[in-house]
Amino acid sequence: MAAASTSAVDPAKKMIMLTTSDNIDIKVEREVAERSILIKNLLEDLGSEGDEPIPIPNVNEAVMKKVLEWCEQHRKDPPATQDDDSDSRKKSTDIDEWDQKFMQVDQEMLFEIILAANYLDIKALLDVGCKTVANMIKGKSPDEIRKTFNIQNDFTPEEEDQIRRENEWAEDR
Amino acid sequence: MSKRPHDREKLDERPAKALRPDAVDRLSHLSDELLLRILSFLPTSTLSLCERLSHKFYNIASDSQLWKAAYYNRFVRPRASRLPGMKDVGKSSDHLFYSSKLSKWLDEEHLIRRGQETNWKRQYKLRHNWSQGKCAVSEIAVSERPPVPPLLVRMHEGVIFTVDSISGLRAWSSKKDRGLISCIELGKSATQAAPPTSLAVDTSDQTRASQRVVVGFKDGRYSVYELKPDSIGFVELYSHAPSSNGSLSAIVYASPYLLTMTEGQLLSLYRFPTEPAKKCVTDILDPPRLLYSLRSHTVWPPLSLSIRPCSQSIIASIAYALPTYLSGWSVGIQEMRLNLEGEIIESRLATAANENFHSLVGKPSLSSPSTPPSLDPYFSGGSTWQRGQSSGSPTSLSYSHPYLLVSHSDNTLTLYLVNSSTSSLSIGPGSRLWGHTSSVSGAHVGGRGKAVSVSCRGDELRVWELEGGMASSAARKRLVTGALSVRIQPEEDISSKPLDSLSDAISQRGSGLGLAPEHRFGDLSVTRGWVGFDEENVIFLREKSQGSQALVVYDFT
Repeated sequence: MAAASTSAVDPAKKMIMLTTSDNIDIKVEREVAERSILIKNLLEDLGSEGDEPIPIPNVNEAVMKKVLEWCEQHRKDPPATQDDDSDSRKKSTDIDEWDQKFMQVDQEMLFEIILAANYLDIKALLDVGCKTVANMIKGKSPDEIRKTFNIQNDFTPEEEDQIRRENEWAEDR
Repeated sequence: MSKRPHDREKLDERPAKALRPDAVDRLSHLSDELLLRILSFLPTSTLSLCERLSHKFYNIASDSQLWKAAYYNRFVRPRASRLPGMKDVGKSSDHLFYSSKLSKWLDEEHLIRRGQETNWKRQYKLRHNWSQGKCAVSEIAVSERPPVPPLLVRMHEGVIFTVDSISGLRAWSSKKDRGLISCIELGKSATQAAPPTSLAVDTSDQTRASQRVVVGFKDGRYSVYELKPDSIGFVELYSHAPSSNGSLSAIVYASPYLLTMTEGQLLSLYRFPTEPAKKCVTDILDPPRLLYSLRSHTVWPPLSLSIRPCSQSIIASIAYALPTYLSGWSVGIQEMRLNLEGEIIESRLATAANENFHSLVGKPSLSSPSTPPSLDPYFSGGSTWQRGQSSGSPTSLSYSHPYLLVSHSDNTLTLYLVNSSTSSLSIGPGSRLWGHTSSVSGAHVGGRGKAVSVSCRGDELRVWELEGGMASSAARKRLVTGALSVRIQPEEDISSKPLDSLSDAISQRGSGLGLAPEHRFGDLSVTRGWVGFDEENVIFLREKSQGSQALVVYDFT
């Protein structure tokens, strides 16, 4: 991809405009916005100088601001590897301190961030979000997990017991 | 709030139980893809808990891809870092991370190639149970009284073959039902005068739907049988005439090659003619041609024959125990390399911890090699506990290149690594393996250095992971800490018990290493040293005091 070289020539500080789902325009530095592969590709495809606002119909203002806050913090991170397969993702406990603080939001916002990161194609942010959720699951009993996420148990007690027995082997490790 | 793009999932009908108005299940509303991503950060123990949350989670947390990654991380990657050479590929550990690239799966690509068919959760569980020594146990009663010579057993691809003079050749399923698949009489001459003395399964052709076995007899005769699928059963393909060379004490078959060893230590290599084209399928094999034969005077039992096809040659080998003066017993190996036309290229031999090898091209006899005493540091080194005993002959010997595993009556095993290249053949120094608490009567090593050993009372089985040998310090550390092997701990056969006692069985199992199955084998039972395994089972033959024989099957699934 020619992507890496373009951003090197381009003045990364140039401001571009994003229009959120609730019709709010947000100004942001191009380099920051390009943490999103979606936006980056859009900018390249448009070939324009980015003067026109880019519509982001799936993300509202509040979430977009939160996402851009993360992008600002991580603007200098090396680009994500293309090879999704060889993911060198670490154990879920390893979230750096800033990200941990960043993710101290209510569940609604947490899931909105995950959905936005997925839509905007920001892999690192998506992983931070997913790890945060994984950490909320870890170390809990099924009942506690259900309570945390309001998951409705649609098993009969017999069914659940059956699954518990099937999986007994996996639990003592 | 924006409409969630991925929320197409038609959720299960939920009970009408009212949730608090603000209590939205945002997690379950995520797309499967995102849920998988979240679950991919969880350990397997948590995954199994997640399966209990709801139907949706049941489906997603048991997703094969999650378990495939877990399988790789737990069972493949540690091997990669253990194998010499692999760790030099790159400094960073990055290249060892999970990938579906075939090259990263070492020799477990067959699981990948099966693609969708591979149930990774099942595979994970299987390996997990092996690593913990956890299994169910059951028995197949094969004989009420002891035939003479005793029953012979082999296992291959989920089928257990047994042969004895009374019941003939039989095949049993090692899977769920453990039933008899087929049996065939051994023919009129298989009387007490010429009972079967050796048994081997064809290991060459994995693609054929049927399996071939060869039985060697006391009168030098041998017969090839094919076990056909779809309840056709055994068909006799070929029977070789009796021979004056005497009883066939060992036999190995890798179609079209057949290697036999007589009691009189005559080693013979045969090749069957290429089979005719498919259209004229006959159930008869043409007689084989004797390619090579040699008589040995230095080969002592126990021994192990093998045939190993390489790209440009066929290697037929015999590994055997070897008495030495100072250190008691060592091992030797004789290899015959043949080209694909069946002409002998060279014959050579090596003994443990001996750098020399003898090239004996065109000289089909073995002179007694002047072996210096074994220099094995584990053998000598001033320890007084074992050597010099006249009864120190190894109890069994198993060779699966490059691993050569010998079991001893002094509660130990010895592992040798055989190095065979086009230019040389050598056996590395042996390493003692401790772990058993009683005399070891049999051991079997398979590919990738996995081995199973059994004590002579049949009450202690251990699984060993010997891959890479003892050369690395990590392996030595595992040896010292006892992490090299795990004792097989059978559960009570829960299927035959009422469910109430299930929890008892589990709590018993939970007590870990302390659970010894002695009480299960109350009557005096003896194993003849034969133990075998495949991917899912370990079996060994057990004789009870009153003479009946049974196959004990340990099921790790």
